[in-house]
Amino acid sequence: MIKILIVDDEKPICDLIDINLSAVGYRCKSVQDGLAAIDLIEKEPFDLILLDIMLPGADGFDIMEYIRPLQVPVIFITAKHDVRDKVKGLKLGAEDYLVKPFDVVELVARVEVVLRRFHKSENILRAGDVTVDMEARKVTKGERPIVLTNKEYGLLVLFIQNKNVALFKETLYEKVWKDEYIADSRTLELHVQRLRRKMGWESNLVAVYKVGYRLEID
Amino acid sequence: MKISYKILLCSIMIMAAAFGFGGYFFVNFVFETSLEREIGQAMDESSILRFAFETAALNVPSKYVVLQDNTIGEIGSKLENSGEGRMLRISDESRGVLYVSEGFAAGTDLLQGIEAQTRLYQVIHPDDRYYVQTGTVLNAMDRLLYLETMKDVTGVFEERRQGFSVYRRVTLIMLGCSSVAMLFISFWITRPIRILTKAARKMTEGDYSYRAEQVSRDEMGQLTCDFNTMSGALETNIRELENEVRAREDFIAAFSHELKTPLTAIIGYADLLRSRKLDEEKQFLSSNYIYTEGKRLEAMSLRLLDIIVAKRYEIDAQRTEVGLFFDYLRDMYVEREDMKFSCEYQGGFVRAEVDLIKTVLLNLVDNACKASEPGQLVEIFGERREQGYLFSVRDYGTGIPEEERRKITEAFYMVDKSRSRSKNGAGLGLALCTEILKLHGSELSIESTLGEGSSFSFLLPYEEENNLEEEGH
Repeated sequence: MIKILIVDDEKPICDLIDINLSAVGYRCKSVQDGLAAIDLIEKEPFDLILLDIMLPGADGFDIMEYIRPLQVPVIFITAKHDVRDKVKGLKLGAEDYLVKPFDVVELVARVEVVLRRFHKSENILRAGDVTVDMEARKVTKGERPIVLTNKEYGLLVLFIQNKNVALFKETLYEKVWKDEYIADSRTLELHVQRLRRKMGWESNLVAVYKVGYRLEID
Repeated sequence: MKISYKILLCSIMIMAAAFGFGGYFFVNFVFETSLEREIGQAMDESSILRFAFETAALNVPSKYVVLQDNTIGEIGSKLENSGEGRMLRISDESRGVLYVSEGFAAGTDLLQGIEAQTRLYQVIHPDDRYYVQTGTVLNAMDRLLYLETMKDVTGVFEERRQGFSVYRRVTLIMLGCSSVAMLFISFWITRPIRILTKAARKMTEGDYSYRAEQVSRDEMGQLTCDFNTMSGALETNIRELENEVRAREDFIAAFSHELKTPLTAIIGYADLLRSRKLDEEKQFLSSNYIYTEGKRLEAMSLRLLDIIVAKRYEIDAQRTEVGLFFDYLRDMYVEREDMKFSCEYQGGFVRAEVDLIKTVLLNLVDNACKASEPGQLVEIFGERREQGYLFSVRDYGTGIPEEERRKITEAFYMVDKSRSRSKNGAGLGLALCTEILKLHGSELSIESTLGEGSSFSFLLPYEEENNLEEEGH
């Protein structure tokens, strides 16, 4: 199981990230103090650290200096929307940078990407009897391989990464099509319908009224 | 065109004109003097010749009553040979030439209108030579004759020509030398201008610390001095402006940071609630966070509004009995059982706007409570001092590290963020207090020892009691 450390001086933010990442299947710990964070990193190994910059005790950059030799990937999370800070963070060896306020889906996706880059995440996603090999980009249901288009594959990955979460049409469209969602567009609906039929998820991939879709599966 | 070149050019033109006119008049004066002298000599010679002629005519044997033409020729010839280079012409009454020297090439127009006992002269210029031609009337043995002489004055004219040419050369050399001298002089005079120009450019480029070097003590030096004073003032103003802008930027940065944190929580939890099926406990946690963070935003916006209002506010200070403040504080905090309060004060009157000073005191007591552990003592004092009435609030809590003391009155600054936020602080209280006290012409003074607590105090103008009596009457 992948362990993630959350360092932010705001308890509500820590809890928020914790709840979301735990739901996706990571184990999370959180501290609100820079020095406590260093203590914890010393004691326990972590696969990923989410680090705020403005912290009491020792600030994010100081902690980063300390983490670097440990080769643990770090994503900075901060309200500072300053290019210099971004560059400084990335130069210090951070893997990514998230600016508050951030989208939860975005957070999960970034965490996923960084973990995959470090081969810490399993490259295989599972949902029921469906497996997705992210490296080979192969989807199988039971033993049967399923052929998907690019967009359908993108949607599938998003749904599996966010199991049991109602995904908004806007979010889905923006993440997969990388474009702004136009209300009344039926493109997304058509793709979801095709995906549902191909995967045999008629009862699992449900439409949520006025919101979007949710994959209900274990 | 550069000003130094302008000075140079003008002075060269003036010098050239002065030299030119001066030289012309001088050479001409010399020439005219010489010419007059020559003419005088010619006239003298003419007189001498007339006298000699008349004498010679008298000595002629008086064979004839009338002077014979050939005798006249003889006398003429004698007269001509008696002097070197002498040229003369003798003509009779009807202008018929009786004797003429060789080379006497002048016209006869001079003799027109000549009268007895008069002498005439003119300067003539046949070919390339100059002559003075004189004419006089002879009276010899009842004959009226005209004697004309010619004197070569080419030398005088030649001298004038040479004089001009020498003078031209001298003038050119003088002009050349003085131009070089003027070039240096004008560069020297305009040096302060160039230095000032450089300084002005430096300032335009943003180097406000540059000062022009003062190289002279004249008006230019005064200008440089004034310029430097001006740039000094400008530098100070710019620095002040920059500091103000920086403070504002810091404020905005801090503000957006403070805004983003509760926003992230509110948006994140709201998103969580609408997307996930949460169990009851998490659902409560999420909605509670949304509520508390929303409250925090509200508190922050109210405080910000207070500060903005305070900054624009004209206070309406009134005589106030200090007991009013302490009674108010006592009422406010008497119900709080988690803290111990002590309140001691000397009676008196101050000049203050009641509501604003109440806000300041509330903030200070609030801060003291936040810095203290439950059950600790918070002391409130009121004391008459020489400079005014001193209010102070003292706690025995965490204290403020020395390096943070200066920043503590800045907006959004919190010594212990997580602690302060957990008590719903926005980091704006002391900034507000500072603004209000500034309106009262006072300031907040802070004494603090880490781990032993802090004391916040301020002075308000004290009003004498007898004033009250006067007002009372």
